[in-house]
Amino acid sequence: MKDRLFRDILPRVEKPARYTGSEVNMIKKDWDSKSTKMVMAFPDVYEIGMSHIGCKILYGLVNETTDHLMERSFAPWPDMEALMREEDIPLYSLESFTPLNQFDVVGFSLQYELSITNVLNMLDLGRIPLRSAERSDFDPLVIAGGPVVFNPEPFAEFFDAFLLGDGEEVTVEFLDCVETNRHLERKELLLELAGIEGVYIPSLYSVSYHDDGTIKSREPQAEGTPLYVRKRLVKDLNSAYFPEYPIVPYLGIVHDRAVLEVMRGCQRACRFCHAGMVYRPVRERSVEVLARQAVEQLKNTGYDEISLASLSTLDYSGVEPLVKQLVGEYGDQGVGVSLPSLRVDAFSINLANEVQKVRKTTLTLAPEAGTQRLRDVINKNVSEDDLMQAAEAAFKSGWMGLKLYFMIGLPTETEADLDGIPELLKKVKSIGNRYSRRAVEIRASMACFVPKAHTPFQWQPQASIASLEDKRHYMIRQKMKNVKLSFHDSRTSYLEGIFARGDRRLGEVIYKAWQNGCKFDGWSEYFSFTSWMEAFDECQINPDFYIRERRRDELFPWDFIDIGVDKKYLWAENERAYRGILTPDCRQDDCVGCGVCPHFEFDLDVKGGC
Amino acid sequence: MRLRAEYNVGPELKFLGNLDMMHLMERALRRAGIPYHLSEGFNPHIRLSMGTVLPVGIWGKHEYFDLDLAEMALQEFIDRLNEVLPPALTILDCQQIEENAPALMKIINTAEYTFVLRTGTTDLQSLTEEILTRDALLVQSRGKNKNIKKDLRPGLYQMNIDATEAYDMLSVMVSINEPLNIRYDELQDLFSEYGISAKDITDIFRQGNYIKEDQNFYSPLKKV
Repeated sequence: MKDRLFRDILPRVEKPARYTGSEVNMIKKDWDSKSTKMVMAFPDVYEIGMSHIGCKILYGLVNETTDHLMERSFAPWPDMEALMREEDIPLYSLESFTPLNQFDVVGFSLQYELSITNVLNMLDLGRIPLRSAERSDFDPLVIAGGPVVFNPEPFAEFFDAFLLGDGEEVTVEFLDCVETNRHLERKELLLELAGIEGVYIPSLYSVSYHDDGTIKSREPQAEGTPLYVRKRLVKDLNSAYFPEYPIVPYLGIVHDRAVLEVMRGCQRACRFCHAGMVYRPVRERSVEVLARQAVEQLKNTGYDEISLASLSTLDYSGVEPLVKQLVGEYGDQGVGVSLPSLRVDAFSINLANEVQKVRKTTLTLAPEAGTQRLRDVINKNVSEDDLMQAAEAAFKSGWMGLKLYFMIGLPTETEADLDGIPELLKKVKSIGNRYSRRAVEIRASMACFVPKAHTPFQWQPQASIASLEDKRHYMIRQKMKNVKLSFHDSRTSYLEGIFARGDRRLGEVIYKAWQNGCKFDGWSEYFSFTSWMEAFDECQINPDFYIRERRRDELFPWDFIDIGVDKKYLWAENERAYRGILTPDCRQDDCVGCGVCPHFEFDLDVKGGC
Repeated sequence: MRLRAEYNVGPELKFLGNLDMMHLMERALRRAGIPYHLSEGFNPHIRLSMGTVLPVGIWGKHEYFDLDLAEMALQEFIDRLNEVLPPALTILDCQQIEENAPALMKIINTAEYTFVLRTGTTDLQSLTEEILTRDALLVQSRGKNKNIKKDLRPGLYQMNIDATEAYDMLSVMVSINEPLNIRYDELQDLFSEYGISAKDITDIFRQGNYIKEDQNFYSPLKKV
């Protein structure tokens, strides 16, 4: 197959290096001698999937530390897909060019709700039945992990199992269990797997509904199946596996650099933030461990940049010593350090200045809302002073542009909050013009607020497309010189919202949408809203049901997924939002009582000691 | 010191673009711990300059780059780099050159492309004779200016045939860079007029890059 691809197929597609494999540090294990064979399938193109840190971790973990084998596969771009269908070529892994249906386990990384159509497309191209119920003993187990599976229900019928929480903990255990129970029939095997903490087998439960469409009950179908499934948690990041030989792609990818994960989780407690809730509690790596990993990764990859990744890197207690150490060690070799997410304050900007080795172009900050009132509602602990000081620090040291992230459609939002955004932008611009001879460029990106499962705003209604469009037009009318506004597609956000809080009945809609040709829905050039709406129509499901306001006592589709944070705490936070009461970061202040530490018997651990 | 290296790019890497190839080489230099020199300025980069671009889809047997670096034994340079390079790419040879030697891009003016054909595609002997007796060989340009007809004849220096039982190979020595840049796909277009279709070609590679002086072709390692 490889010969045929190289000779006849790949010369005819865009960016053929997406499909060739054999990159530096790729691990190709001997197929016949290895135990369980898994392919990590990423439902987006190579350049996106190869940038994902979680996949790098699991790839290294399974291949370097176990007898199992893990290979990779990505969604082919539509030009390649068309050729594969025309020439009858199955979707294959990049290591051994093995069709997906030859693996024991096909594991999808679900980072984004709308990538589900690509999952279906990849299964179809890999010649695997799309629905769990249609698979036989000879088909692979199709599983998924990632942030999206904290509400797995809309996707339940396509997967045999979901792996919840930190993959380092559960993946190897899962593969070991598959290996030991290889002789079992599929149903028996799934029952066995259900016994692993963090593994959810959707086919073992049935769901009933009230007349109003909300959930009445969820019942396990077999004895011994747990009622709740608790996510897995890496308690000590310092001793957790982290790759020192990551694959170095030939093709330019989105995040083309070495990467360190300085911490996992974030305790800022922004009330809209999904990642902030589901990845609690915060766990850090020590500066010594990170410095050692930096040495190894740079030596083994040859990258000229190293990025300090996490949900909020400037909140990592060791960020300053780590940055200084890395800049000191590598600065004169032409190796740079990058900080992907900046906090809105002067300290962050000054640290960013220290590491910036290239031209100072645009800096990105996220105040999220236009007025202090609304920022308090969402618990974004950023004051206007913080923002102005950050802007001043940036422009003073030569940055020429600032990009600011906002959300529209937030709970309690009024016209005054929308007006607050341009007012803020004008102030920031005037600071810029005080320090710069050329006119500075201010860009503002407006996302649509999407209420997510497991967050304090999970009870909130989502603004309708019409209302979001009104808000967009309202804002566009206020023209400002040298300020560019951009808006996320409200229709994409609408669909995201439906799946973020959806239930099992959406499986049919997804299937129909895929049949209608939906794929690469996260890419505006392929997103087809009408095809999706037709799918809802055909299934006689009203999509607005899923974006409505929820009752306090409603049983949610995701309630059985235990992330360790109490539902009571989430409700209290939702209430505090209306009153504009701030909730502090529990690392600086007192415990806020979210419940995650006692639940996992975890002691909050701050490596830099503050 | 400054050195010039000769390397091959195996079929496995034939789909890399020029920028990809440059990144691959830079990363290999860092992994190998080669004491490269950085350029001055705000955004320092490795002083590496690649020879003529190898087109995407084509592999190459003799390609070249120049590098500025601190004093280092040539064999050590080769060994250390080969240790970290992917198996499909190997440094074959290298040589110290003058600090002010003209750039590869300026001196390389000839390339040899080899087309591997299914056996019995056509009578290659008469095909080459026919092509070489023409006064002009006009094809639609595939370069920057696509609207012009390009005459390949003045830049088509030699055609060689190597026929075995398994395959036929047609190698063509052509002018590249200034003043006449002949692309491999323009040659393909030319051949298609003589009965060789894309389907008949099973592989294409660049045999080498040369410096043509009078009627002689020199390797960039030999003629610095």
